[in-house]
Amino acid sequence: MSAPHIPNLLSMSRGGGGLRGRRGRGGPRLPPAAEGHSDASSRFHDKAIQGTDSDAAVSRYSAVSLGYLDDQFAQYFVNGQATRRLPIINRGTYTRTTALDTLVDAFISCPKSSPQTPTRQIISLGAGTDTRYFRLRAQNKHHNILYHEFDFPTVIASKFRIIDSNKSVLLGDETLFEKAPSPADHGAETIPEWGLERNIDGQKESRYICHPLDLRDLTKTASLGSFDGLRCGIPTLIISECCLCYLNVNVAHDVIKWFADHIPDLGIALYEPIGTEDSFGQMMVSNLAARGVVMPTVREYKTLGDQRERLSQLGFGDGQEAKDVERVWQEWVSAEEKERVDGLEGLDEVEEWVMLAKHYGLVWGWRGVGFECWKGLSG
Amino acid sequence: MVKDLDKAIAQLRACRPIPEAQVRELCHKARELLIEEGNVVTVTAPVTICGDIHGQFHDLMELFRVGGDVPDTNYLFMGDFVDRGFYSLESFLLLLCLKVRYPDRMTLIRGNHESRQITTVYGFYDECLRKYGSANVWRYCCEVFDYLALGAIVLGASSNLQPASETSTGTQSKNNVTSTREYNEADIEIEVLNAEGDILHRFPRKKGQANNVIQRSPNKSSSPVKTGPPGSGASGSSGGSVGNSSGAVLCVHGGLSPLIDTVDKIRLLDRKQEVPHEGAMCDLLWSDPDEIEGWGLSPRGAGFLFGADIVTTFNHNNDLSMIARAHQLVMEGFKEMFDNSIVTVWSAPNYCYRCGNVAAILELGEDGGVENLRSNGDAGRSNGASSVLAFRDKERVPGPARRYRVFQAAPQDSRGMPAKKPVADYFL
Repeated sequence: MSAPHIPNLLSMSRGGGGLRGRRGRGGPRLPPAAEGHSDASSRFHDKAIQGTDSDAAVSRYSAVSLGYLDDQFAQYFVNGQATRRLPIINRGTYTRTTALDTLVDAFISCPKSSPQTPTRQIISLGAGTDTRYFRLRAQNKHHNILYHEFDFPTVIASKFRIIDSNKSVLLGDETLFEKAPSPADHGAETIPEWGLERNIDGQKESRYICHPLDLRDLTKTASLGSFDGLRCGIPTLIISECCLCYLNVNVAHDVIKWFADHIPDLGIALYEPIGTEDSFGQMMVSNLAARGVVMPTVREYKTLGDQRERLSQLGFGDGQEAKDVERVWQEWVSAEEKERVDGLEGLDEVEEWVMLAKHYGLVWGWRGVGFECWKGLSG
Repeated sequence: MVKDLDKAIAQLRACRPIPEAQVRELCHKARELLIEEGNVVTVTAPVTICGDIHGQFHDLMELFRVGGDVPDTNYLFMGDFVDRGFYSLESFLLLLCLKVRYPDRMTLIRGNHESRQITTVYGFYDECLRKYGSANVWRYCCEVFDYLALGAIVLGASSNLQPASETSTGTQSKNNVTSTREYNEADIEIEVLNAEGDILHRFPRKKGQANNVIQRSPNKSSSPVKTGPPGSGASGSSGGSVGNSSGAVLCVHGGLSPLIDTVDKIRLLDRKQEVPHEGAMCDLLWSDPDEIEGWGLSPRGAGFLFGADIVTTFNHNNDLSMIARAHQLVMEGFKEMFDNSIVTVWSAPNYCYRCGNVAAILELGEDGGVENLRSNGDAGRSNGASSVLAFRDKERVPGPARRYRVFQAAPQDSRGMPAKKPVADYFL
């Protein structure tokens, strides 16, 4: 199926070899698990949600292969044959990544701190195959960060296998560790926490830790101490890149609340669909429902204003900001970068792009001195 | 041969690809036919003008259901037959078969997606490879693309509407009982119908201008709807316009070019090639109207943006009453701009299975006023006075009356044709 001799849209010299084939496989034809009461429908729903992560990984690798994003790690997290996404999707993947990078970079870069001490903590919810930690490490931005990922046990286990079988690339100068399951977790099925540790002043310190957890069970957990390395005393950023939107409204609320109750200096960055009231949004809801993907919070928080109010209610009192992805592209991508990205493939889908990008929102809110640096970012 | 063609048409109508050898033969015949056409094809009304299809085969079938079947209805497709949808191959080959079978009743002009480069990125190339195991069919089709006309001029369109004939479903719409007399008295310029032929909106021509031609007392309309649909420039009481000359309509996929000031200059281009990255031919297929003055850079990276002043001047210099074009997604299916001097027609409902938009086709009726818009209606009920008079007084000839039929995406698994559940991409 590969056709390396075919030029790309703008006849650029960049070879697209090996990057085509599979497109739009038919999804399972099952009724939407809208309410998700029965075990079967709930499991189907979980599977569908986990499937969104593979979807994102494929999109990421497509954007990387075509030069939108610089991410040498993306390829290791894609299963099977690579797929070339359409330009509109590549641009969206680029913009979404840029949006969160902007918030993360601002958060970790102030104040300049001694590199050996973790002074910033990042908690990525539903991280899946996300490569952000590896990218930060490759950019040498990781020294003051303690990085946590939470996801379903099966997802966490599969990420371990990927790292384990690509050690030479993914380990860097770090080592892989698995935490022994606590005696309470009897049963061979238990997936352990694992992470990467590095040698600092002769001491092994773990700075990247993956926690297997169905987030719906988080609030049953009494303390931060139940999770390896999780700290309450340093400024902490929670990232939910299309994760909390899959939970029921009250569960999503409780998850954020749980962290907010434990960590005083706290910020959050949400990326999720918005605007389900218009015909594009309704089609999105119905298309995703046909794949078993239901987003209860999207129905609850229809606008960026609703989302800001949501963060305000949750106690992020020092600031709540939001913008849609189209505005991120307009305002956070420099003219230079826009020109570079425009030159990669060309985009013959301008109206569609604007419409699509207006249906995703980036929302961020904070409380505490650790987020002074966010004040300069326009909402 | 005709028998073979009819067989191929039947097979394609069932959304089944025809054998490679047959595609080669079809493309060969199509090229022989298209090479005889000028860059700008002359088409005589009545004709139904359609915008982008983009491989949405089932929706193309819905279009034929709503607009009438070939050869009962004359069609003009303004390009972008392929890419994005899953059935570019079946859609394009069916249209091509119909072109070869009924050359005078089908007009196909080139869109920016009828290009080797674009189809490698946007799906048609992959689809051919998937369905035939080799790129041969894609190559045959691309050779046909190079011969497609760049535009069309519609002549002889009526300045007033006749009652819409029944839809091919055979159901007589209960709302659609306006008589020919009522149409003429109301001097309806724009009518918007839904897929079943029910009237959604009606806009009478501006008073004191077009109406003068036939000395009709204004405002005797049966029930003109005064608020415009979103997307029609004809909102409120300002609905309707007056064409500025002969009533000819230029059809082109994208729009105008700074290198082209007359239609004759389009005729002089050497079109038999891949769509170039720049220049007049590229602009015609890539440009967009925009609320600017003069010319602007296009965000698409090809073609230009052009403002109302450009359209006004071009139409005036070329005796055009209107430009019809496609190329841009319009959520309401069609959109008239710049005082109704240009219209975008979009015929791919729920574009990419994701956008939630409706589609539209534009019917221009036959001049003379004695025929229905469609040949299968009952002719001879109107007196035809208005258009006859209109033709005598050239300065006052109104623009063509437009009937838009708006339709939705075909239901999944409709009519027993294979339909893969499409999966639209989102950022998840």
